[in-house]
Amino acid sequence: MRVVALCLMSCLMWLAAPATPAHAMEIVNCTGRPNSDQDKTSIMGATQSRITFVASIAEGEGVEELTLHIPDGTTFGTDDLQVTLLTGENLMTRNEVAYNATVDGQDLVLEFDEPITQAGNLNIIVYDVYFPQEGGDVQVEATYVAAAGTADVDDIPAIKVTGISGPEALSQWLADQAWVQAWNSNRFLRLFFDPTILVTSFPVVLNGFFMSVGVVALAFPLGIPLALVLALMRLSKFFLWRGIATTYVNLMRGTPLFLQIYVAFFGLPLAGIDVPNFPLGVIVLMLNSGAYMCEIFRAGILSINKGQNEAARSLGMSRVQTMLHVIIPQMFRLVIPNLTNEFITLYKDSSLLAAVGVMELVMYARTIVATTGSITPYIVAAVFYLVITLPLSRVTRHLEESLRGHRSRKRKRAAAAAKEASHA
Amino acid sequence: MKSWKKTAFASMATVALATVMGLTACGNTTTPAAGSSTSGSDDATITTLDEGKLTFATSPDYPPFENLVDGEYVGLDMDLGRAIAEELDLECVYTNIDFDGIVPAIVAGGQADAGLSGISITPEREEQVDFSDPYYVDNQAVAVMSDNTELTEDNAAEALNSETVTIAVQSGSTGEAHAGEYFPNAEIISFPNFTDCFAAVQAGKADAVCGNSAVVEQMLSGAYDNEHVIYTSATGEEYAIAVSKDNPELLAAINDAIAKLKEDGTLDELIVKNMGGEA
Repeated sequence: MRVVALCLMSCLMWLAAPATPAHAMEIVNCTGRPNSDQDKTSIMGATQSRITFVASIAEGEGVEELTLHIPDGTTFGTDDLQVTLLTGENLMTRNEVAYNATVDGQDLVLEFDEPITQAGNLNIIVYDVYFPQEGGDVQVEATYVAAAGTADVDDIPAIKVTGISGPEALSQWLADQAWVQAWNSNRFLRLFFDPTILVTSFPVVLNGFFMSVGVVALAFPLGIPLALVLALMRLSKFFLWRGIATTYVNLMRGTPLFLQIYVAFFGLPLAGIDVPNFPLGVIVLMLNSGAYMCEIFRAGILSINKGQNEAARSLGMSRVQTMLHVIIPQMFRLVIPNLTNEFITLYKDSSLLAAVGVMELVMYARTIVATTGSITPYIVAAVFYLVITLPLSRVTRHLEESLRGHRSRKRKRAAAAAKEASHA
Repeated sequence: MKSWKKTAFASMATVALATVMGLTACGNTTTPAAGSSTSGSDDATITTLDEGKLTFATSPDYPPFENLVDGEYVGLDMDLGRAIAEELDLECVYTNIDFDGIVPAIVAGGQADAGLSGISITPEREEQVDFSDPYYVDNQAVAVMSDNTELTEDNAAEALNSETVTIAVQSGSTGEAHAGEYFPNAEIISFPNFTDCFAAVQAGKADAVCGNSAVVEQMLSGAYDNEHVIYTSATGEEYAIAVSKDNPELLAAINDAIAKLKEDGTLDELIVKNMGGEA
């Protein structure tokens, strides 16, 4: 009934107003929703997306029908179709539009219950859109029926779709497998070890892995000289050096790294010091681990037998020479296990940089967690931490054992020598 | 896990409950609550975490939807949660979980019955949880420092979509998706907290911040009054309450409550109260 009435009405209107080819509707925007875990801006084929079509309607045009032609190879749904007319200043007033939607092949036909006469932007969101797997430019076409007749909406921008990436394709293949579905039917497994998310988040989180390792690989070695200087200052006889170093170490060790990062990232720029994110991250971690390593070095230096110092000085070496050639080399051998531990801690602490927008391991994982609601990316991140920390803790253990072994051997040898001497 | 029951279909409900309990393998007691049903669905047997309580997970860093003022949960979502709980004759309880942890928490269960934290409906999230009917439709806004002369209201739509522009967004938010869709050329950096996006603009770490317009307005009227809005867009993201897929009874009850609050105008009142204007 209504369709007939509408047809009749549009025919009448056609007759009444023969030819005014003005552009009653002009395109404002036609975009697809980015749907890639790897890149916030790319739209992938064969993955759920949506099309937002916005066209302006001039005052009094009386648009009765709009047909969106979505090219072959792209599928779409009409269940959640959203049609709104945005009006008013800044186009922020939302008006519901009553319509009847029909699908004819690749055409989505919207017949409006009332012709739209109000000036505004007609905003149509089509959900459940799957773009072609191979990607390419998707050109949506639109035709409308208004009081003035039928016309096309010109110059609609094409939606750029990228082909589906390897991991995404694998993920979709996995989603169809019976064993994956059985696996995912267990809530715990789905939340923590969803294979489909595992394969897509792996390459994404890998980017963050390089970032994290990069930050720490620079911050740690840079922290060593700083720590050595601090340690020597703390052991100095001059009160000013001692005071400065002690204050610094207490400040850095007494406040959370999280706060130090905040101050550096949001405080320094306000003080007029503007450093890009990556070097700033390196500097903060370096300053922090410098304080911790200072204490390791200080303890190491103090643990060297006083006799070493006395022997070196009696050979005519200066204090500086003694420190550089006798004490510090021995100290380094002693503190290597502790340094390795500090490296592991620093590597894990680099995750705190996520809070200030440094795209490191946790931040990449976090982004996917936030969009998918699955914990799986965090598990992937955990794997990337373990890749570094497990071998390193093995190395530490080995070093500790060899140190202990070395010492106990030495003691044994000394004991044996003493025995021989007493026998002689 | 305890359960709470509303109608007279005691035996049927008990069987249903037993099934649910068997599945979730939690220690359980059924307590048939006497009295008439206040909300719609007839066979409503609502199972909640704590008997007589409806626990919502929320991330109170998103005014005017949710934030903490003197230890009180305030905002549109918070008022809505209390109204829904009232409709269902339950006590409303809020539990504080980071935004990106809310959906996983609902899936895992044990921490909250439902997620109420300005969560917009996305297909990815729908794979994990069920969503109620939407209660709010989102707009997006972009704000920059007021003394920024390169990004202004007149050139916003084009100027923002440029390689030299950095836009700060909250990780996983609709603002992030919006910036990705409409400003693909700009550099987008994500922060876990929305407040930090504004701090980043203050600090010059980003040129602009993109997010929900009501929240942006709220922030600008508060601590960040030296920033101003240069771009708005009515995007039509729908905010809804996330409920575990194992709890369709609760979802139905929440939907009934939302429908009722929409009908009697309470929802509009709450929107006006919290957003100060346009319902």
